[in-house]
Amino acid sequence: MSSPASPDPRHEPSGMTDENLITAHEKEAAGAPDTHAQYRLLPLVLLFVFSGLIFYAGAYLNRYSGHFSRDIFDERQLPASGQPAVAAIDPVVLGKRQYALACVTCHMPNGMGVPNLYPPLVGTEWVLGSEERLIAIVVHGLKGPITVKGNVYSAAAMPAFGQVPGGGYNWSDERIAAVLTYIRQEWGNEAGAITAQQVAAVRTAHPDRKEWTEPELLALP
Amino acid sequence: MKNGPLFFLGLFAALGISWAGLLIGTNAQLGGLAPHFDENQDLAFPAQFPGVAEQGLRVYRDLGCASCHTQQVRRPGFGTDQERGWGERQSVARDYIYQSQPQLGAMRIGPDLANYGSRAAEAGIGAPALLAYLYNGHEGMPAYRMLFEQRKLVGESSAKALVGGAPEGYELVPTPRAQALVAYLLSLKQSYELPEAMPYEPAEAAKGGSQ
Amino acid sequence: MTTVLPNQVPAGTDDADQTCGGPLLLLIASGLLWLVLGGTLALLNLIQVYTPAFLADCAWLTYGRLQAMQETALLYGWAGNAGLAVALWVLARLGGAPLRGPNYIVAGGLFWNLGVTLALVGIAVGDASGHGMFQLPRYVQPFLLFAFGAIAVPGVLAWTGRRNPTTYAAQWYAVAALFLFPWFFSVASVMLTFAPVRGTLQAVVATWYAQNVFSLWLAPVAIAAVYYLLPKITGRVIPSYDFAVYGFWSLLFFGCWMGGRLLVGAPVPAWVSTMAIANAWVVLFHHIIVFFNVRDVFRPGANTTLKFLALGMGAYLLSAVIDTAFSARALAVTTQFTHFQQAQTHLAMGAVALILTGALYHMTPRLAGGNWPSVALIRAHFMAYIIGFVLLVGSLAVAGWIQGSALNDPSVAFTQIAARTKVWLQLATAAQALLVVAHVLFAAHFFKLVGGQMAKCCATRGILTSEATVS
Repeated sequence: MSSPASPDPRHEPSGMTDENLITAHEKEAAGAPDTHAQYRLLPLVLLFVFSGLIFYAGAYLNRYSGHFSRDIFDERQLPASGQPAVAAIDPVVLGKRQYALACVTCHMPNGMGVPNLYPPLVGTEWVLGSEERLIAIVVHGLKGPITVKGNVYSAAAMPAFGQVPGGGYNWSDERIAAVLTYIRQEWGNEAGAITAQQVAAVRTAHPDRKEWTEPELLALP
Repeated sequence: MKNGPLFFLGLFAALGISWAGLLIGTNAQLGGLAPHFDENQDLAFPAQFPGVAEQGLRVYRDLGCASCHTQQVRRPGFGTDQERGWGERQSVARDYIYQSQPQLGAMRIGPDLANYGSRAAEAGIGAPALLAYLYNGHEGMPAYRMLFEQRKLVGESSAKALVGGAPEGYELVPTPRAQALVAYLLSLKQSYELPEAMPYEPAEAAKGGSQ
Repeated sequence: MTTVLPNQVPAGTDDADQTCGGPLLLLIASGLLWLVLGGTLALLNLIQVYTPAFLADCAWLTYGRLQAMQETALLYGWAGNAGLAVALWVLARLGGAPLRGPNYIVAGGLFWNLGVTLALVGIAVGDASGHGMFQLPRYVQPFLLFAFGAIAVPGVLAWTGRRNPTTYAAQWYAVAALFLFPWFFSVASVMLTFAPVRGTLQAVVATWYAQNVFSLWLAPVAIAAVYYLLPKITGRVIPSYDFAVYGFWSLLFFGCWMGGRLLVGAPVPAWVSTMAIANAWVVLFHHIIVFFNVRDVFRPGANTTLKFLALGMGAYLLSAVIDTAFSARALAVTTQFTHFQQAQTHLAMGAVALILTGALYHMTPRLAGGNWPSVALIRAHFMAYIIGFVLLVGSLAVAGWIQGSALNDPSVAFTQIAARTKVWLQLATAAQALLVVAHVLFAAHFFKLVGGQMAKCCATRGILTSEATVS
């Protein structure tokens, strides 16, 4: 790499003084008087290049920033485009846990209840039949005699589980929907799922409701 | 540029804007992240970090393990992190909220360890096997013998001692640092679901439908 | 072929050189010692990559710690010291007056080097902070901050007390480097060490800091040196100089956003890395302007300083293009977490090191008041440095590409990856060994020059005078 122009690499020249260096460049920066009426292409080119870079960067940012959301880790995603990214709750899993927390005490793990004391849940018209009645029983509770599968349970008393005045459990609509879905699909039962919206509808339709009785329930659709 | 104060103000603004936008901005977004409560399992994730694992994190840091191992799973389809069995989903900020200093790493001379605890549990690798691995090293990994003490065998051998490896009349006992490191490695788990980590599928059909 | 003005003024008797030599020579000398040490540690570290058992039984030199040590020695020891010396020298020259407060430099320099020594010992016993480019143990951080402040004071005084009210591009870059470092260093120190932010936010802070070390500290020092030395040596005004100011501000305003490009796919919100990639493109504007301004540096037939500056500038511009291209997610998916990224770091930091080396070739004779003793040593240093540098970056890049492609094929086990990259890593080791030779040659030459001048000085005056009066 040693070139013939500078045979001695120790040759360290100074081409101008510091004073000249500053003043010469200041003159340059001030924009030299346009004595030759020269057309300078470079400013235009640089402006063009800068605009191009800004445009590209802006477009890239707009497309892949995920709208600066804190929850977007995949740059292709946009907050508005996807469904609300919440892990789906499996109602059967949640319902099973709710059932084991409370219901199991009376209705037993196999859903068969206790003869003459607590009615069964397997294959009964109350569980598999009207959704509104079933929801109403769990949300507001039940008092008094009730006939299930031809047997009369005279001292039936079920507490209110919903978020209603006087209720001791305050289960959310989602949890009630989950436990109902669970009992409608467990032990050989095969009925449709109950949604939280249905539960909410029943709860709000009867705001000051105390425990239901059998005739009142049968009046429901 | 003759105006000194304005020049310094400009310098300061350049740094200050990026500081405010990038550091304060992300801190406002993620500084208060709470664990996610999983309704299905009735548990909050990520799990709290046990104290011994926190000590192990410091051992991991001071030995510079992060210069060969990352702890960040990239999303399925971006690289082959999923195919290599490092994790079913992308690691997200919430996974690390309990770690005093997440060891994300920047180099993969060895495998990713973000999910090492889950992998080890599946493969049946417990603390003793992992300690033996640390002591012996591997073709691609140095042995970390400084984490072990060779003691003269007096009476019964210690319950913690490694099986084999020590000369007659001696036993190899892992130091507390080794035990903390192993506890830390075995606690690395991201095997739960978080809403923001759900894989995103660029839905062409949905795009077409909306138009 | 070239219009280089003849050297009317022999080096060492330049009447305009009113700089205090001693303090700056102290910084340069310690920088060169760190360069030799850091290069040697880097060599050992590279061997460990494919021979894991090498030095593994020594807790102080286990792979992770050794890596943090070599990085700290080269960054804060070599580039820090030499960069400060160059920045101060440029400011003193353009300020038109001898540096005021040279004792600040001596005191600050001693404490800075003590701090770096302490940092290396601290890392060896396991106190590293665990953040890349910021491995300093917590007790060293305040220490280095105050030492830097002390060293930077004369530089800022040279700017505020300059004789000529107008300023030159080299001054902007140098002042920016001296002024901004304490700010982002203390921010990193607080947000990572003393009141650490939560979880993966630390990665955002650490990459922001690492980017600032380059974009707001080392790169500005290097560019200041080029802007000053090029017209100074060639005697030609910088072409299109009126655009330099845009180049300066575009680096400052956009450069500090670029750190997040290393966090592609990481557990931080996607916008952090998207923002970084977008800004990497905009910063190219800075590189384009710098290229237009300093393109004379690439003319053939230059002297040693200009040769180093040309190679450094080439590496700087190439590094910008490569960094921008490989920040794109489609390419980063292969190069992320591989030796390729280390090659990128070597290229960027090597650009700074080449330019600083060139500047030292010009400065040292003037500061010490004598010329370089040996032509052969200069030529040997140049050849060893260039071959070593190109080979190191090239072989690491190839190794990284092989590693990344293999990582993206789940059927390839890690032992196979190690086997495939081994030969390239061995080549990189040879290159690093050549670089160590180059560093040793340069340091030896430097000490020969300075030592010879000091002996001459003692002989003629009978006392050890400050080199300030010599120049």
